[in-house]
Amino acid sequence: MRTEIKNHFFDVIIIGSGVSGSVMAYELGKKGLNCLMLEAGEFFSRSNFPKKEIDGNSKLYWSGGAEFNQTANLALLRPKVVGGGSIVNQALLDRFDQNAWDDFKRNSGVNFFDQDKMSEWYQKAEQGVNQEVIPAEFRNKNAQIFADGFKANGFECAPLNRAQKNCRYSEGNDCIECLSGCKIDSKQSMLITYIKESLKQGLKLLSKFEVDQIEDKGDKVLVHGRHYKSQRKSFSCRKLVLAAGAIGNSKLLQNSNWKLPAIGHHFYTHPQFMVLGEFKEDILAHKGPFQAMKSADAGFRKKGFKLENVFAPPVGLSMLFKGFGHEHMQLMKRIKKMACIEVAVRDTQPGKISFKKGKLKIIKTLNEEDKKRRNAGIEAIEKIFSSQGAVAIHQGNLPIGLHLMGGCRIGQDDRNSVVNPEFQLHNSKNIFVADSSIFPSAPGINPSLTIMALSKKAAQGMVL
Amino acid sequence: MISTHFSKLQLRGLNRLGDVVIPGDHDFPSFSSLKLDDHVDRILDHMNDDDRSGLKIVMSLFAFLPKFFIFFILWITEKAEGESFLASQLRLVNTGLKGVIFTLYYSNLNSKSEIIHQVMEWDANINDYPDEGDEMQQYTDEALSGESQKYFDTIMDAHKIREISRNAEPKLRSLSIDSRLRYISRLKEVILNKREMIIDRIQADNGKSRTDALVSEIFGVLDHLAWLEKYAAKALADEKVPTPVSLLGKSSKIYYEPMGTVLIISPWNYPFYQAIVPITASFVAGNAVIYKPSEVTPLTGLIEELLQAADFQPSWVQVAYGEGKMGADLIDQRPDKIFFTGSVATGKKIMAQASQYLIPVELELGGKDPSIVFEDANLERAVRGVLWGALTCTGQSCTSVEQVYVHESIYDKFKKMLLGEVSKIRQGTDSNGEGEIGRMTAHSQTKIVAEHLQDALDKGASLLFGDSWDRETDLIPPLVLENLQKNMLMVQEETFGPIVPLQKFSSEQELIDELNESKYGLSASIWSADKQRCDRVSRALKTGNVSINNVMLTEGNHNLPFGGVKDSGIGRYKGVHGLRAFCHSKSVLIDGNSSKCEVNWFPYTEKKYKSFDKMMVSLFSGGIGNFVKFALTGVGLESYSDKIAKK
Repeated sequence: MRTEIKNHFFDVIIIGSGVSGSVMAYELGKKGLNCLMLEAGEFFSRSNFPKKEIDGNSKLYWSGGAEFNQTANLALLRPKVVGGGSIVNQALLDRFDQNAWDDFKRNSGVNFFDQDKMSEWYQKAEQGVNQEVIPAEFRNKNAQIFADGFKANGFECAPLNRAQKNCRYSEGNDCIECLSGCKIDSKQSMLITYIKESLKQGLKLLSKFEVDQIEDKGDKVLVHGRHYKSQRKSFSCRKLVLAAGAIGNSKLLQNSNWKLPAIGHHFYTHPQFMVLGEFKEDILAHKGPFQAMKSADAGFRKKGFKLENVFAPPVGLSMLFKGFGHEHMQLMKRIKKMACIEVAVRDTQPGKISFKKGKLKIIKTLNEEDKKRRNAGIEAIEKIFSSQGAVAIHQGNLPIGLHLMGGCRIGQDDRNSVVNPEFQLHNSKNIFVADSSIFPSAPGINPSLTIMALSKKAAQGMVL
Repeated sequence: MISTHFSKLQLRGLNRLGDVVIPGDHDFPSFSSLKLDDHVDRILDHMNDDDRSGLKIVMSLFAFLPKFFIFFILWITEKAEGESFLASQLRLVNTGLKGVIFTLYYSNLNSKSEIIHQVMEWDANINDYPDEGDEMQQYTDEALSGESQKYFDTIMDAHKIREISRNAEPKLRSLSIDSRLRYISRLKEVILNKREMIIDRIQADNGKSRTDALVSEIFGVLDHLAWLEKYAAKALADEKVPTPVSLLGKSSKIYYEPMGTVLIISPWNYPFYQAIVPITASFVAGNAVIYKPSEVTPLTGLIEELLQAADFQPSWVQVAYGEGKMGADLIDQRPDKIFFTGSVATGKKIMAQASQYLIPVELELGGKDPSIVFEDANLERAVRGVLWGALTCTGQSCTSVEQVYVHESIYDKFKKMLLGEVSKIRQGTDSNGEGEIGRMTAHSQTKIVAEHLQDALDKGASLLFGDSWDRETDLIPPLVLENLQKNMLMVQEETFGPIVPLQKFSSEQELIDELNESKYGLSASIWSADKQRCDRVSRALKTGNVSINNVMLTEGNHNLPFGGVKDSGIGRYKGVHGLRAFCHSKSVLIDGNSSKCEVNWFPYTEKKYKSFDKMMVSLFSGGIGNFVKFALTGVGLESYSDKIAKK
């Protein structure tokens, strides 16, 4: 009995095991702190990641696959699994450009939002995971159409840099299978990098534990929640790290009656619109490293969008199309002839997350500027497909949001921000946040690497 | 068709919807032909309750609607444009319905549906190199939670629990006694209806025989609840008490008020009775309750379930699971009263901790209860009574008979009769009532019984029955011993097992003197035809409870308070005394709102002193004359005091 008492009070509890939570756990554990990580999702590893799309959707995401905004025209994909977004993403690692940092700085007044000042943290973040550029010889036809179409239209594109380690394409591995977790431990997810190392350092990890309330008592922070379907339990700690993402953090703070007016505001998602180009010949976009190229066009950046070389598995594709019945079945049979590019909008219209009486309500719409950006992107995609001889173009019916950012934005003023430049909640020095929820605006660039860099910085500054 | 969420009807609805969304053609099979409804729980298990309920309603509807109607509904939802409320809802329905069907159809869930991916030429594949092992496989959900269980259960925050109880206190205080008793009546009904399930749970955790569970726990609890229904309102009503003549014109009352939050810490021997009885007594008195069961017999979730079924709000009675640390943490949260039943050692610790905060404690601790059989006792009755008293609940009651004193003139006869009866006792945790004594609840206690037995045998006692026991198994047979000596553990300490130690005695007075030397004093039983002797002995014994020509039966009458003296405990519970033990008695003296000044108030004068003295002497000297004197002096003093005060 006696020897266990030390464990009852944690130095730090980390809520969420995604990119931010994992990096923080690692850095804090390295300092010798006794950490507990609480994750609502299940624990999977390479040998038991879901193999069927049905389970990949229902077991790795909140609400059985997708959540919707209030107007039901944006599907929000919010991972719920040990490792968070790093389990289901495509492991794209990009640094923010000066434009994104300037925008961040303007919207927050935070001084270190600067390419030079963040460079040290980016370097540290990049050291933690292995990166590879997809070799040109393994590009599939979808990627080829992307590259050729860009060239034909004078757009700039570049091969993709991904956090992976030997996908063994020559053996016929198709990365699309790893959207529900990489079965060969190539994708450098948090699970096999920072979480693995943290567990070795002594991190306590509790999966299937959903936190629903937190309280700062001054000398300690209490964390209340439920382990799977059992009784409500509580933990206490000296410092708390919120790393449950934009929606998770906002929901938790609102449910805990946190008194900061900006909680849940300034929510961005980089709304993504997939467009399929149908060709006469087979494209087989699902083969190999299905995402190999990225747009690197300064004009696109200026106009506020980027194009991505993407594809989706069958259920995901079926949801893209309008219609049902025979019309639908005919389309599905022609999937093999389809290439796909999506436009990701750097959204300017802030959304709002609210959680009242146990119900999540997300308002997220597109303003005229956002629509203009989307339309410009779609126009570019149409040009690309046409230049490559597409016979038809099918615009996706269901936009998705999977870069969930904001809701607890960082800033100087507690009237319009939630987190201070030291990554603490304005009204609680014991609670730290460094995940994408602190983003003050939409950067228009994949957030993963920046979350890692910010988390490294936040962990370093944390003093018990 | 298997689903824990959808009924057969709803699955029919699902298949009908499926065939509208995917009717099939020469390449694609129709939805319903693939028997995909077997897999629908793979989606439903992970859905929100709201979404799932919505789907259920729609599927029930689709089970009956003509297919063209289903088609029409889908067609309308497809047409939703814009961001109006209606359009948004329609779109949500559309995505939800198509989502379920497509997810089942395109996920390649059975051999029949393989054809779909073949038609699509979808052959995405990954070689997962099983030979290379999976280093992370050691951390499964179960392994992680098992590892955390250590710091998980015991860490349930005592502070939070106390805060919840504190917030519940005003509401409970404001509930009238009648409305509190309505909850008690509902609880009685719930327990009566669920008694078989409760007995199963008691047996699973505690191991006692089914009849023991029925009689001592269920019957005992129902009897207590019925007592509350009948007597509690009266016991807790405001009580008017006499006001002395010197305070003429005033009246006096006692209010029995809730204390706030009562912390109840219970043992493992009667896990149900020792939960419900103190919980309900505290609750009826208007208190919030924090109940900490023994970690050996937590009956996890049962108490909450029953209370919830009786409409108790969760904050009124909270169950705090955990080991001793949890109890200590809860005491640090300063409950207003601690009610503890258990061992002397733990009782002392609790009282020491409570003393730091001056929390009143009620301690129901152990005993070494004697049964005394006199020469004129009805032996057949005494033998059966002693055996039951020693062996019920496998001897694990605080009031179990642990010493049997038989008058030397009848000792041999008594012994013979007892050995004849004991051989008929059947052991085991039975399921049908055909068994007398169950297993020991905690193996740690089994070890103590073995230790006491060995010590007794080493020091010269002889084992008359129970030699078959291997000293290891928790299924201990009745152990009948004789030739016991004062220095044996079995005579000195509480054994808490199925023991029947027989001792001879010759003199009543010597026996009483000897028994009164014991550090314990919980209860005793006396067997004799001589009523005077029974009365004499029952008064002479330093103990809390005495049953005459019966055993352990004071507990059978809920009007009688229960508790021990010396190391057996502090305080009384049950009965009117016991109910009021969960109250603060508030004294109230009521006087009129007059302008009059009291004689004992300032100012003091020499004249006042002398009159007061005269009045006091006449009041306490007795006799009519003195009383008249008292009255006259009093009246004079009163008017004098009033006058000088207002000068």
